[in-house]
Amino acid sequence: MMRMLRMGRQALKAIATNRTRTVLMMLGVLIGVATLTVIASSVIGARAEVLARVEKFGLQQIGVIAGAGRKPGVPQPVCTSLKLEDAQAILSEIANVKDVCPEIVRTDFPVKRGNKSTYASIVATNSSWASMWGTGPETGRFLSQEDEVYRARVAVIGKTIRRDLFEYEDPVGKQILINNNPFEIIGVLEPRGTSPRGDDLDNQIVIPVSTGQKRVFRQDYLFAVKVEVSDSSEMSRTVNDVREFLRERHNLREGVEDDFTIVTPTLIMTMMSSLSTTFSLFLILVSGISLVVGAIVIANIMFMAVNERRGEIGLRRAVGARKRDILVQFLLEAVCVATTGGILGIALGLLGLKLLSGYMKLPAAIMWQPIVAGLVSAIVVGLIAGIQPAKKAANSHPIEALR
Amino acid sequence: MIKVENLFRTFQKGSLEVQILRGVSLRIRQGEFVSIMAPSGMGKSTLLNILGCLDKPTSGSYILDGIPVHNMDDDELSRMRNRKIGFVFQSFHLLPRMTAWENVILPLIYGDFEGDMKDRAVRVLQAIGLADRVDHLPRELSGGQQQRVAIARALINSPAIILADEPTGNLDSSSGREVMKIFHELHAVGTTMVVVTHDKEVALQADRIIEMKDGRISDDHATGSRSGEAA
Repeated sequence: MMRMLRMGRQALKAIATNRTRTVLMMLGVLIGVATLTVIASSVIGARAEVLARVEKFGLQQIGVIAGAGRKPGVPQPVCTSLKLEDAQAILSEIANVKDVCPEIVRTDFPVKRGNKSTYASIVATNSSWASMWGTGPETGRFLSQEDEVYRARVAVIGKTIRRDLFEYEDPVGKQILINNNPFEIIGVLEPRGTSPRGDDLDNQIVIPVSTGQKRVFRQDYLFAVKVEVSDSSEMSRTVNDVREFLRERHNLREGVEDDFTIVTPTLIMTMMSSLSTTFSLFLILVSGISLVVGAIVIANIMFMAVNERRGEIGLRRAVGARKRDILVQFLLEAVCVATTGGILGIALGLLGLKLLSGYMKLPAAIMWQPIVAGLVSAIVVGLIAGIQPAKKAANSHPIEALR
Repeated sequence: MIKVENLFRTFQKGSLEVQILRGVSLRIRQGEFVSIMAPSGMGKSTLLNILGCLDKPTSGSYILDGIPVHNMDDDELSRMRNRKIGFVFQSFHLLPRMTAWENVILPLIYGDFEGDMKDRAVRVLQAIGLADRVDHLPRELSGGQQQRVAIARALINSPAIILADEPTGNLDSSSGREVMKIFHELHAVGTTMVVVTHDKEVALQADRIIEMKDGRISDDHATGSRSGEAA
């Protein structure tokens, strides 16, 4: 043990006195571990974030999107077959459906107030929207059922719209123009932050779906219907019921594809997990390659060092070092250098992550898994890269080495 | 101290077998100062390597300080080198990035020394006249001083025998004389000294000269230059 400590001191001294070589050796591992830390942290972080969102989206909710083979958030050609009446019929006809929420969403819609104007997302929906999305009015009130029945020109606005059009005024009771239709503001929504795609959810204006269809968009179809079920254990049966019901209403014969897409929480989770599997494979590949490169760099420089330090090896052998002592010294040098590179790499990675999360709104929590993985792989790289050069050093004959 | 009996050493050069040592027998007693002299290629380096436990004889026996060495494995030979032998080389072999005292303690690292290594190194360096060079790097020292650091390193484990291979070969004559003076001092306090050289002047400073030719001892005589200690 004592002897081991002494070998360690000798190894550290050799590392400390030959800085250029040490820095060169460290570089590969440093970069490899830094990449590993950044990618692993952001993948794990993103996954946790998405899972949290799926949970918030609700395990009792399914989405019906107009058009075949749709994925949430991916724009595709307009499909006009999903109607408001479909949504109402789903609510009244299908058992286990607790509530429905029809939706028409158009982004970048011009909105004016006096001489101020902005572009907003217009969401035409009903009174259930707030509870379905787990939000509500911060001031004023949300849409009511009467608003929908009377096609009232009322709007609930998000924080960003309020800031852009009203600054410090109280907007409730004031008017804005949406597509040159005057709307009365009845409430301001709670701040909702950013969507997974990076859209500002506070740049929305919510209006009654009937008003939207007749006065703003002039369309009789919907983009999506959100359905809430009462009993989530019956989810798959309800999904089936909704599908059969809509096929019948849309007169789709046997063999014809659905003209709508049903998105369930399980589907979203499956999509996410396959996405994160792909990410993880990518992560393993990228950091694997950089660590292999790091190992090759260390091994090469170590081989060079062994040749350069033949005199030292011979001298150490002459004054009593066993082969084992030389092996341990060189191996410790490699492992110490790799570990130091690993620690610096983790530090650099975390720093990069902080900068990155500042710029890109990446969810970047500091997690222990990437740190442990980085450290362990650095040590392993040091051992693998160091063993052959260390063996070569230990087996060089003292007489030859002293010559 | 050293008892060598009928030592052979052959090297394999391709398909050729080269006999370097052909039956060397030799005794060196405790406290003797011996020179081994030979022109290069006559086997003196090979003999020195075997005496220094860096190499093993092909056949024959070698007993060092009462311990048979010729059958030892690599680890045991390392231990013998560490305990019994102090090497002094022609080209000093100091580690360039380490200070004088760090170089001097190297043999202690591979032994079971317990205690303050630096303290011990400083004392040896003081004894050898380098008290003010303890923290210097080899490149900051003259050739003679470097060789003295190397001698301090050879002495730190109190070895039974000092083996010096052309110790003055890389030095100017005054530094060479200085080194030989230290050897005489060490001899005076009872250290066994073996100096390998081809320099007649250096060889003559010993009590006894062993001459080698073609892998055998060709002559072995007292110099009489010192107090009349017979060989």
